[in-house]
Amino acid sequence: MVYITEWDKFVEQSIELFRADPDSTRYVMKYRHCDGKLVLKVTDNRQCLKYKTDQAQEAKKMEKLNNMFFALMARGPDVDLSEVTGKEQMDAQPTKKGRGRKQ
Amino acid sequence: MVLKRVFQSSHSLFVIFHSDSKGEQNETEARVQSMIAVTVTSSLKSKVQRNKLATAGEAIEYRCLIRATDGKKTISTSVGPKDHQRFQASYATILKAHMTALKKRERKDKKKPAEADKREGSSKRPKKS
Repeated sequence: MVYITEWDKFVEQSIELFRADPDSTRYVMKYRHCDGKLVLKVTDNRQCLKYKTDQAQEAKKMEKLNNMFFALMARGPDVDLSEVTGKEQMDAQPTKKGRGRKQ
Repeated sequence: MVLKRVFQSSHSLFVIFHSDSKGEQNETEARVQSMIAVTVTSSLKSKVQRNKLATAGEAIEYRCLIRATDGKKTISTSVGPKDHQRFQASYATILKAHMTALKKRERKDKKKPAEADKREGSSKRPKKS
């Protein structure tokens, strides 16, 4: 069991793990309200990756990972994840307001 | 504290709520003790099923199995490729609503009075003609 501190590494490694063995890989989210902690776990019964947080900001990142895993599991491991994340990024970008002409 | 399956737009959704109707106090008390685990797995695990589909020449329809438990009661649902985005959106909304114990980022918006004084004292540059 490995606790990964960096979010990007956790996402990268967990997707690699799933693609290596899609049939036996599972993704678990455990939330304890009394501790105010959220633990994410991706395992294939041989290797186990975990990520722990208590920040509300991380819940948004977790939402993206959820979306990725739902896509991988419901559409198959060969799905292009750039479509999944790309859509979200497009939606998240606010419309830029012009500040007038630069002097 | 119980888990209940709510059918919203033809697919299951996990909602955490308190079964008592005595008011908000009970709900918060119940939520303080709560723990919820959600497991997401690929549900087409049977090799026999896959071999049948492969021999028949049909495309494999992947499905996603989601299970949620609070330690006592477990609920589950299977999501197909058509429903997964709709399910994900509803699921995300519920998570945001109930994960209230996570720490919010503390922003340091309060400007120091010294900085404010400096700004007031400094005169603006005249515009270039």
